[in-house]
Amino acid sequence: MSGLNFINPFGVREDPGTFTGDFYTENFSRKAKPGTVILNLGPQHPSTHGVLRIVVELDGEYVIRAEPVLGYLHRMHEKMGEVKTPWQFIPNMGRVDYLHPIAWNWAYVGAVERLGGIEVPERAEYLRVISCELNRIASHLMWWGAFVMDLGGVTPILYAFEEREKINDILQIVTGSRLTLSYFRFGGVSTDVDERFLRLTKEFVPYLRERLKMYKALVTDNIILRRRLEGVGPMGVDICQRYGATGPILRAAGVASDTRRDIPYGIYKKFDFDIPSGPTNDSFGRYLVRLAEVEESLTIVEQAIKELPAGAIRIDKAPKANYKLPAGETYFAVEGARGQVGCHLVSDGGTRPYRIKLRAPGFSNLSLFAEAAKGTLLADAIAILGSLDLVIPEVDR
Amino acid sequence: MELTIANFVQIVIACLLIIALMVGNAVIMVYIERKAAGFIQRRPGPYEVGPRGTIQAICDSMKLLGKQLFIPGNVDWLLYFLAPVMAFLPVLLLFLPIPFGKYLVALKVDDGILLILAFAGLGVISNILAGWASNNKYGLLGAARAVAQSVAYEIPMIMALLAVVFMAGSLNLSEIVERQGTWPWQWNIVFQPLACFIYFVSLVGETNRAPFDLPEAESELTAGFHTEYSGMGFALFFLSEYANMLLVSFVCATFFLGGYKGPILDGFWWTFIKAYAVMCLIVWLRWTFPRVRFDQLLNINWKWLLPLSILNLWVTAIVLKFIE
Amino acid sequence: MTAIENLDSRFREAGALVVSRHDFKRDGLVLSATIPAGILTKLARGLKDDGYALLDLSVLEAKEGFLVTYHFDSFREPGRLALRVLATEEMPEVPSLYGIFEGAEWHERESADFYGLIFFGNPNPVPLILPADFDGPPPLRKDPKDLAALSALGLFGQADVLDPSWEALVNPPAPDKPGAGDGAGA
Repeated sequence: MSGLNFINPFGVREDPGTFTGDFYTENFSRKAKPGTVILNLGPQHPSTHGVLRIVVELDGEYVIRAEPVLGYLHRMHEKMGEVKTPWQFIPNMGRVDYLHPIAWNWAYVGAVERLGGIEVPERAEYLRVISCELNRIASHLMWWGAFVMDLGGVTPILYAFEEREKINDILQIVTGSRLTLSYFRFGGVSTDVDERFLRLTKEFVPYLRERLKMYKALVTDNIILRRRLEGVGPMGVDICQRYGATGPILRAAGVASDTRRDIPYGIYKKFDFDIPSGPTNDSFGRYLVRLAEVEESLTIVEQAIKELPAGAIRIDKAPKANYKLPAGETYFAVEGARGQVGCHLVSDGGTRPYRIKLRAPGFSNLSLFAEAAKGTLLADAIAILGSLDLVIPEVDR
Repeated sequence: MELTIANFVQIVIACLLIIALMVGNAVIMVYIERKAAGFIQRRPGPYEVGPRGTIQAICDSMKLLGKQLFIPGNVDWLLYFLAPVMAFLPVLLLFLPIPFGKYLVALKVDDGILLILAFAGLGVISNILAGWASNNKYGLLGAARAVAQSVAYEIPMIMALLAVVFMAGSLNLSEIVERQGTWPWQWNIVFQPLACFIYFVSLVGETNRAPFDLPEAESELTAGFHTEYSGMGFALFFLSEYANMLLVSFVCATFFLGGYKGPILDGFWWTFIKAYAVMCLIVWLRWTFPRVRFDQLLNINWKWLLPLSILNLWVTAIVLKFIE
Repeated sequence: MTAIENLDSRFREAGALVVSRHDFKRDGLVLSATIPAGILTKLARGLKDDGYALLDLSVLEAKEGFLVTYHFDSFREPGRLALRVLATEEMPEVPSLYGIFEGAEWHERESADFYGLIFFGNPNPVPLILPADFDGPPPLRKDPKDLAALSALGLFGQADVLDPSWEALVNPPAPDKPGAGDGAGA
């Protein structure tokens, strides 16, 4: 550390000895070269979106090494899953990823249903798709605003929030909450939709389509934004494979891989939608893929609303509080806004799962940051970090 | 100009008025900026304190005044406290030669623009001192950026202004205004559109405003050189930022927009209207564009603005020679 | 499904202990192989060449030790498969897959945090999610009395036990646990 302290020209207030730095910085700086600076981005930093911490070694403005430090928002959901009954654990799933909680609802409820052989009524399947896709749109909008803010454009996030509020209003009708949604139940969903929900959703779809045009004119076509993103942080299929990155990162790399299409769950087979896969694998490609996904989600919502069948929203013999999961192991993967969300569930036949492993897409996506950021400018590293679309509670779980 | 007692009194009064202007400007600009940002972002902006939120800025400055002066550990406290003062003081001098009205000039000097350009360069020293003294890596990076940016953008700025000086044949700001007519098509912006454009881009770079706010790039360096400042230290930086903005806008109004001359009723109000119009444009830019990257920022300067401004100067000189 | 059959035979040739086919509708997997730790890197390299990515790593603590499950999936031809390696309580060591899938580094560090496993070959064996000065027991370790036998967890699907020593772990003798064997085989 001594090489990193700035010289104090007047020698005022020197009190060495007490501060030794923290473990990660020490561990990191052991290999530091002379002439470089170890910079701590976070855990409180405007562009780490929460409490991510990244230790970077800078040579001037160039990032020589970067290492994310996790765990500032670790809540041990996996242990909670082991000590809670499946019913008690559902609300946790709304809190793992606050931007796309419905996907996590689905991953856990889907895993339990798959293991228990629980069928879901058709209307509930449609409602699941509608809520999940609306939530995905909200997540992408939030990302869009925050990403442009990372690049210094402060206005778009407020535009994105306006649209996101509308989605929150819609989802609030059935879930009762606006952020940590817990909508899914074993064998269905919690509440049926009403006229207002359907009307607002029908109004929202064309509204957002119009707004997306404005987004394109205002932000996507902006020359500064393009220059900031084009060619920055290319991530090909190879790096995605080595790090297990999924979601928009993989699709921008040119692989039209989407869990909704590849490993169909729910009733996604019934809908006609494209998997956008970008022509470029840089940050701008990821940007375009996400915006295209919003449009595809709108298409799905439109179709689902049109075909929404009547019927029950939950099976009659839905698992009760003392439900015993049959012994066995299952893996249920769904496509979250950030990539493949997975729930590995093992049961020994008791009322509580024996083991739950949650696969957070952000975890794998963030792990490639160190490699992608190497050799870039600090501003580019921030752009790459933003283009990964991280939600730290999900990464840390 | 010899220093008589009358002159001295005049300068002292002018300085006091300029301080009042600077502070008043900061209050007004904060309100304008927040309201403009609110309008652009489709939200109301400040509306709680006072009618339509008008005294919000005053309350904010009261809060800043009342805050504890916090000194982070291991800072060089002398430089740490000197930096905000140094940011604030030179700006005071810069306003002296500005002709607000025909007779409303604090210091009529023949080489007024030289005075402004010379002292404007001092501002960056305070940035680097602040970044260095606060013993913060973000601060140091921000200071380094501030120096590179400031030095780079001063050159095309001077070149652009020189073209106008060539036309006017004088470094005296009043003289330059006098050479322009009352109507917009008689202003220098018509004869020197390229110079005006270059000057405008450079002034955004020079005042560290978005999209060129690299020294305090929030998403990268949290707050750049003033990361460690709070309370009055921060307020002084803030004040000097707005004062600098005001200054370059006044220079812009004087050089390119006809100064105190207007279609009806010449007077200092025209200077103010024009300067604030320029400032609103800067505010509009800030809330619309993302930030450029640092290498792009320097590329814009060295690869485009500087050659263009030299070319502009050269063409101006040749044309003037032929007209003679 | 020829690709899966290929992999099946490859696992068998490489010396897998148990190879199981799974009902995807129930288990979310198509194929799993329990292998000795020694051949893990070799098989993982083969999977990487076939376009598989390491998507998840989960550890299961059972009476017999820690069953480390690596979940692989291909971006081109989806079909989840799992490789399982058993690390015993006495020697909780598994080779790291960092050399093949860099993303394994974080998954391994996370598992090391939660279970106290050692992944030898991991380039950065420091805690990832837990604080560096955390000195409690690994937080996901279970109380010994809560531990279940591997066979009671129904992990092995349509198991084909290739190694006789694993017969008792996959299909335990009937009097030991009457219902468990059925659940596993279903």
